[in-house]
Amino acid sequence: MSELPEEAFAAVIAGFDRMTLDRLNVLLDGTEPSSALAMILGDRPPTGLIARLFDTPGLVAAWRESAVNRTPERVWDECRRLDMSVLVRGRPGYPHLLAGDPAPAPVLFVRGSFDRLAGRRVGIIGTRNATGSGRNLAASLGRDLAEEGVHVISGLARGIDGCAHRGALSVVDGAAPVAVVASGLDVVYPREHSDVWNLVAERGVLVSEAAPGTPPEPYRFPLRNRIIAALSEILVVVESRETGGSLLTVREAEIRGVQVMAVPGAVGNRAARGTNDLLRDGCAVVTGVDDVVSALQMDSRRSGAVAYDSRPRPKFEDEQVLAMCCEPRTLDQLTILTSRSLVECAMTLARLEDNGWVKQSNGWFEADSSDTIVL
Amino acid sequence: MFAAVPSATLLGVQGHSVTVEVHVSTGLPGLMMVGLPDSVCREARDRVRAAIVSSGYLWPNKRVTVNLAPANQRKDGSGLDLAIAIGLLVADEQLPATDVESFGFLAELGLDGSLRGVPGIVPLVAALVHLRPVVARASHREAVIVSTERVFAAGSLREVVEALRGDSPWPPQPTDAFVDDDVPAPDLADIRGQGLARQALEVAAAGGHHALFVGAPGSGKTMLAQRMVGLLPPLTADVALTATMIHSAAGVALPRGGMVTRPPYRAPHHTISLIALVGGGTMSLRPGEISLSHGGCLFMDELGEFPQHVLDGLRQPLEDGAVRVARARASATLPAKFLLLAATNPCPCGGGPPGACRCDDGARARYLRRLSEPLLDRFDLRVPVARPDIDDLLSGEPGEPSAVVARRVEAARIVALNRNGCLNSEIPSSKLDDFAPLDVGGRRMLRNELERYRLTGRGYHRIRRVARTLADLDPLAGDVIDEGHVAMALQFRVQISVEVGGRAA
Repeated sequence: MSELPEEAFAAVIAGFDRMTLDRLNVLLDGTEPSSALAMILGDRPPTGLIARLFDTPGLVAAWRESAVNRTPERVWDECRRLDMSVLVRGRPGYPHLLAGDPAPAPVLFVRGSFDRLAGRRVGIIGTRNATGSGRNLAASLGRDLAEEGVHVISGLARGIDGCAHRGALSVVDGAAPVAVVASGLDVVYPREHSDVWNLVAERGVLVSEAAPGTPPEPYRFPLRNRIIAALSEILVVVESRETGGSLLTVREAEIRGVQVMAVPGAVGNRAARGTNDLLRDGCAVVTGVDDVVSALQMDSRRSGAVAYDSRPRPKFEDEQVLAMCCEPRTLDQLTILTSRSLVECAMTLARLEDNGWVKQSNGWFEADSSDTIVL
Repeated sequence: MFAAVPSATLLGVQGHSVTVEVHVSTGLPGLMMVGLPDSVCREARDRVRAAIVSSGYLWPNKRVTVNLAPANQRKDGSGLDLAIAIGLLVADEQLPATDVESFGFLAELGLDGSLRGVPGIVPLVAALVHLRPVVARASHREAVIVSTERVFAAGSLREVVEALRGDSPWPPQPTDAFVDDDVPAPDLADIRGQGLARQALEVAAAGGHHALFVGAPGSGKTMLAQRMVGLLPPLTADVALTATMIHSAAGVALPRGGMVTRPPYRAPHHTISLIALVGGGTMSLRPGEISLSHGGCLFMDELGEFPQHVLDGLRQPLEDGAVRVARARASATLPAKFLLLAATNPCPCGGGPPGACRCDDGARARYLRRLSEPLLDRFDLRVPVARPDIDDLLSGEPGEPSAVVARRVEAARIVALNRNGCLNSEIPSSKLDDFAPLDVGGRRMLRNELERYRLTGRGYHRIRRVARTLADLDPLAGDVIDEGHVAMALQFRVQISVEVGGRAA
C-alpha cells in the first residue's frame, strides 16, 4: 500500500456514500488522506474535529461499508484507466485559481490538464431550454472568445452550456476550453454531449468534484456552479429564467467578486427573464464578443478575417418575413404581421429555411443569426 | 308437442337467423336448453317461466327441450326470450301453430311478462328475411329502418299471444314522426384566428387525411377536432346503413331520425382498453369505438397518454378500414373506416414558444417516446397549434362558418373521386405520378427536402397526397401541383422530437 500516492486515498474518501463537501473538508483539512482513511477504518484514533464528525450516527459504518469495495488500489487503477488525475487541495498540482476559494474543493478529478490554462478565462452559462437565438449567440461567443485566446468555461449542460463549448471547439487552434461537470467523469451527462465531453478532455480541461461512477444527482449541480464561478474572470449569462441554476452561479460569482455580464433578450421571451432582470439590476450588457473582450481590457480591435456570410441573400420580398422572425413566431402570427396569405408565407419560409435564414421547431420559426457551426 | 319459431342473434355487426325449436314431452319436469347459449341466454329459462306464469298461461309440468338452431353457433343475449316463450306456448298447444312461422320474434321478457328492447335490433331485423318482426315498443323505431315487412311492436307477452290467437288486434303501432333532430354540430365560426389549423381541418376533411394537432394546452386542439364532423359531407346511403347497424349492435342510442346520417364523432378517454377501442368485448363481439366512428371521425385527445398497446392496436384498422376480431369460438369483421384526429402536447408541461418549456429532459423524452414513429407516420397532417393571438380572441370577428368550408370540401371530394376513384389519402404511391403531377417549382422544393434528409420516402408520398388535396381545394389551381401547395403541405409536417441539445443551430 505504501507505494500508492496520497491522491489515491483522497479519491477513495471522496467517493464514499454520505460524503459531503463539509465532511470531506474536515477529513482532509490538515490531515493526510491516508491517515484520514486509517481513522475511518479504525486503524487509528480520530483526532480533533474528525472525532466530532464520527459521532454522527451511522456515518462511520456507512463509510466502512463503502470502503469494502473501494480499496485505494482499485480506485487508483480505475483513475489511471480512465486517464484521470486526482488533485488534492494543499498538495502539488492543485490549481492556484481554486486554492484560495471561499468554498474550495478538497478533491478534484481532472481529465486533460490545468497546465493548458494560460490565457484569460470567461464563463458562459445559461438555461437548458434555450431559444434558437440564445443557442446561436452562445455558440458564436464561444467561437469568438476561443479565437481571441480566451478560455471558455462552462458546465456542459444542454442548451447554452453545450453550445458555448461547441462554439469554442469549432476553432481549430483556439484557447483550451474548460468544462466543470457534476457527475463522475466517466458518467457522461447529458449523453448526447459525449462528443464534446471527450473533445474538451482532449483539448482542454474536464473537471469534476465527483468520484468516477457518481451519477448526476441534482444537489451536485449548484456545487459544480461555484467552481465555474471561481474559475471565471467574467461570467456571461446568455439566457436564464427568473429562477434556475444560472442565477445560482451568478450568486456564487458575486460572492467571489467575479464580474457578471448578461445578454439581453426579447421582453416576451421566458427564457430571457432572468437575464433581463440582471440587466435591470445594473449588470453589464453583452451583445457580442467585443463587449466581453473590452471588459477583459484586452485589445478589442479584431484581427481576424472579415466575417463572411455564405448564405444567399434573401429575396427582397422575403426580408420582411425574416425581420419578423427576430423572435419566435408561428405561421399564423406571420400571416397577420405581414398581411400575406398562408401560402405566400409558407413559400417564403420554405425559401428562407432552405437557405439557412430561418429555423423551425414545433411550428415556431426563428431567424438564424449566424452560420451553422458544424463539429 | 313441437314448435319452431324464427328469431335472430347477433355476431359483430351481423344478425344471424336462429330457429328456436321447442319440444314438450313426457318425462321429468324441467327445461333443457341446448345449442350453445351463453349465460344471459341460458337465464332465459327463468325469465320465460316467470313471464308465462305472470301473463296467466300455464307452465307445462313436462319435460321441455329448447334447441337453438343452428346448434353449432354461439347464441348471445336476451333477444331470444320472446321466441322461446312463444315456442313453448305453441308446443304446449296453448297457442295455435298457424302463422307463427311468418313472424320473427326479437325481445327480452320481464318477469311480469312485459317486453323489453335489446341492442342490435337493426342488424337482427335485417337477418329476418321475409319475416314480420315482432319487437318491444322500445325497439320499434330501430326495427322499421331496415324491415321490408310490417313491424309489430307490443308491450307484453300477453298482447303478442292474444294478437297471434286472433283474440284481439295487434296493438296500435307507435307512430314516431320521422323528425330530423340534428343538434347542429359545433361551428367553425366559433374559432378565431388559427388560420393554419383551419386549413388543416379543411384538408383533412377533403382528402381523408388523418391529422395530429400538436400544441400547448388551451390552444384549442379539442375545439378544432369537434368541428371536423361539421365539414364532412353526410353519409352515403350504404355507409349510413352500416353505421346504423354498428350503432345498433353496440347498443348506442340512434339519432331520433332513426338512421345515422351525419358522420359520427367519437372521442374516447385515454383510459380506454384495447377491446373497447377495437371491439370484441362480449360473446357477440361488440363493436368498439373505431367501428362506432365508421364514416366519421375518431378523436383521441392526449394521444401520448393512451397505453402503448392500445395505440398499436389502431395501426392495422387504419390501413385496412376494417378490423377482424377473432376469438376462440367466433370471429367477425367489423367495419372501421374513420378519420383519425388526435391531439398531443409537445411535452408534459405543455410547451409554448422555444425557451418556454419547463420540463426536465428525461420527462420530455419519456413523453415523446410514446408517440412511436410508425404511429406518427399514419398522420398525413401534423399540425402545430399555438395559442391564438389575443387580438383575434377579443375582436368579435367570427371565422368562416362550417357551411362555407363544407361546400368547398364537398366540391374537392367530388374532384378527387372523379379523378382517382378514391380520396386523395388513399391514392396508391404507384399512381401518384398520374394523379398528383408536380410542376418544376414543386419538384425542386421536394427534392431539396429529400436531399437534406428532412423527408423520408414515405413522407415524400404523404406530402404529395396532401399537396394534391390542397390543389383540389384551390380554385385557381390546375391539374398540376405547384410550389405553393408543396410549401403549404410541408407546413403540416411539424417535427415533434426531443431537441438535440447543444446543436449550435
